[in-house]
Amino acid sequence: MQTLQLDRINKSFGNLEAVKELSLAVAPGTIYGFLGPNGAGKTTTIRMIMEIILPDRGRILINGAPNTSPAVLDRVGYLPEERGVYRKMKVREALEFFAELKGLKKNAHKKKIDAWVERFGMAGVQMKKMEELSKGNQQKIQILTTVIHEPDLIILDEPFMGLDPVNAELIKDVILEQKQRGTAIVFSTHLMESAEKLCDAICLINKGRKVLDGEVKTIKRGFGRNHVILAYDGKSDFLKNNGIIESYNDSGNYVEIKLRPGANPQALLAAAMQQAEISRFEIAEPSLHEIFLATVKE
Amino acid sequence: MNKMWTVARREFLSRLKTKGFIIATVLAPVFLIGMTVLPEFFMFMKSDRPQQLAVIDQTGAIFDSLVVSLDDRNAAGQRVYNLTKHQASAATLPGLEKTLTAQINNGELDGYFIIPADILTAGKAEYRAKSVTNFAENNRLENALSRAVRAWRIEQSGLSAEQVRQLVRRVGLRLIRISASGQEEEARGSTEGLVRIMVMFIYAAMLVYGQIVMRSVIEEKSSRVIESVISSVKPFQLMTGKILGVGALGLTQYSLWAIVMGLLSLYGVKVTSLFARGATPTANFSMPSVPPEILLFFVLFFILGYFLYAAIFAGLGAMVNSDQEAQQLVFPVVMLVVIPFLCTFYIIENPNTQLSVMLSLIPFFAPMTMFARIVVQMPPAWEIALCFALLVATIFGMIWLVGRIFRVGVLMYGKRPTLPEVLKWIRYA
Repeated sequence: MQTLQLDRINKSFGNLEAVKELSLAVAPGTIYGFLGPNGAGKTTTIRMIMEIILPDRGRILINGAPNTSPAVLDRVGYLPEERGVYRKMKVREALEFFAELKGLKKNAHKKKIDAWVERFGMAGVQMKKMEELSKGNQQKIQILTTVIHEPDLIILDEPFMGLDPVNAELIKDVILEQKQRGTAIVFSTHLMESAEKLCDAICLINKGRKVLDGEVKTIKRGFGRNHVILAYDGKSDFLKNNGIIESYNDSGNYVEIKLRPGANPQALLAAAMQQAEISRFEIAEPSLHEIFLATVKE
Repeated sequence: MNKMWTVARREFLSRLKTKGFIIATVLAPVFLIGMTVLPEFFMFMKSDRPQQLAVIDQTGAIFDSLVVSLDDRNAAGQRVYNLTKHQASAATLPGLEKTLTAQINNGELDGYFIIPADILTAGKAEYRAKSVTNFAENNRLENALSRAVRAWRIEQSGLSAEQVRQLVRRVGLRLIRISASGQEEEARGSTEGLVRIMVMFIYAAMLVYGQIVMRSVIEEKSSRVIESVISSVKPFQLMTGKILGVGALGLTQYSLWAIVMGLLSLYGVKVTSLFARGATPTANFSMPSVPPEILLFFVLFFILGYFLYAAIFAGLGAMVNSDQEAQQLVFPVVMLVVIPFLCTFYIIENPNTQLSVMLSLIPFFAPMTMFARIVVQMPPAWEIALCFALLVATIFGMIWLVGRIFRVGVLMYGKRPTLPEVLKWIRYA
């Protein structure tokens, strides 16, 4: 059984079709990237999953049950893009409040909160007010409230936005650890690099429609091994007037190149070596970033 | 539904522990006790030294009469004003004035009257003192002098000052209210006072606690915590939870005050009499006794009125982004509460006119207007039943409507919505 299943959901706001005929499935123990440019309909979709807004048409199943049935959403942990804390509340009280909102009973949540607080290194600040905490610690609390009830499905909307490096690492660890437990994790992002490293599967949407989905491995294979990654120091004229390059994405001393079908990568290397010092040369699958740009441009 | 109680409990407990709540809860009774005890206390302080007043009586005939008419006593039964008689002709007057003014400046004297010879016809006298801004005192002096002059005028016709006092004595009117249960009770001004106080409580409950609900919604919106919350609890549950939690807070606060006031009416008189040196206290504080059925209606209207306005305020909170924005929208709602409050002044005097009946049936007004009618004179049962039916129906309608606004509004940041946009939310939600 899939942990999360969307079945042809639609949502319009007035004349704007925010999400159209979107279907996807997320299996237990999978990290699922929900990718797309800003305004693609990611947050709208996530809010529909959380029943914050209702779809015009379509079904949303969590653990096989509609998300509208009682207690189904208690098995989901959600970190919204717009996130904050109760500034005037004590840390411990806020954690208990959110645990109870997820249906945990008072005697059940005590141990869980203790364990999580310990693990996040926040045992010392439990009795402080939220507003007395540093921004980084407030972010930790937000991550903590998302996972405190050990959900079957974790949904993170742009989780890396505004996070400091320490917390970005923390959330990555939490994601991987929860994956081991069999939790399905869906996270939306427009940062391809983080998705590339973490995701088992992705869904790419643009203007409310799905343009691509599946396992990352399969998708990359589909785009073929005709990409070259070059790290160089010197002139980059070799990128132009070359019959073997179809397109490229140059960052100054790092370039990702898509070759024309049947072109010889070695010829490219030879041309490059005449103009620049090459420190890395790799024939690779395209990065998600490339796939993203190529797909969205079409 | 459990989650609604979780929200209500958080709302209740987190506010119960705030400094603002504790201060308000403690200060109000302190203020009340102060109001009760302070006047007695000041009278007690004042009674140490009677006021020394000089009277320059150019008629030579008013003084005795003034001594009789200005015989206010303090709590210990002593005269408040000690009068001394001075006589002066037009020639000696300036010199005397100088002497008396000097005595005022060195504190021997508190003030002096100048009563000209033509006071009977001209009707004008002077009073000079360091401070002449105490209205109550000024009135007392003016009235006493008027009585004295009036008495003298009558005395010209051959009656003694004492006889005149007897003749012009005021008549006291005992007011007896006949209530439905057939009891007769002394009610000099107490019914009216009671209505005023209780209506004021309902008024404050609707405005104060209603706006706490509104600010609570705004706080969650502006701190961006709201989306995490409504992913776990339905917006409708969040709204009703908040209303219940703050409502419980209001009831707690009012109950505490009621207990303090109850104790005060039991022991307050004793406290004030401590200052009055065994004499019977003149101005005592006593709670008018509230008949149980009135108390029941009070609690009912208190709760229903609060629900209605808390729902409205919750909706306002959902529509705006900040307290400042809210202030503009709050004004019309405040008007909706102020109008019936003002209407109660009319209703207390005319509880049964067609206008009063109408005013008491409008659901937004009823918590104050119908309650005022019930206290003054019990309206027919069907009117009360109709009033409750309308009020409860309006509350449910309002909660439904606001629930829809809430659902969309809590996720809207940025520009404040226009009325057409809000109507659209209600349709879409």
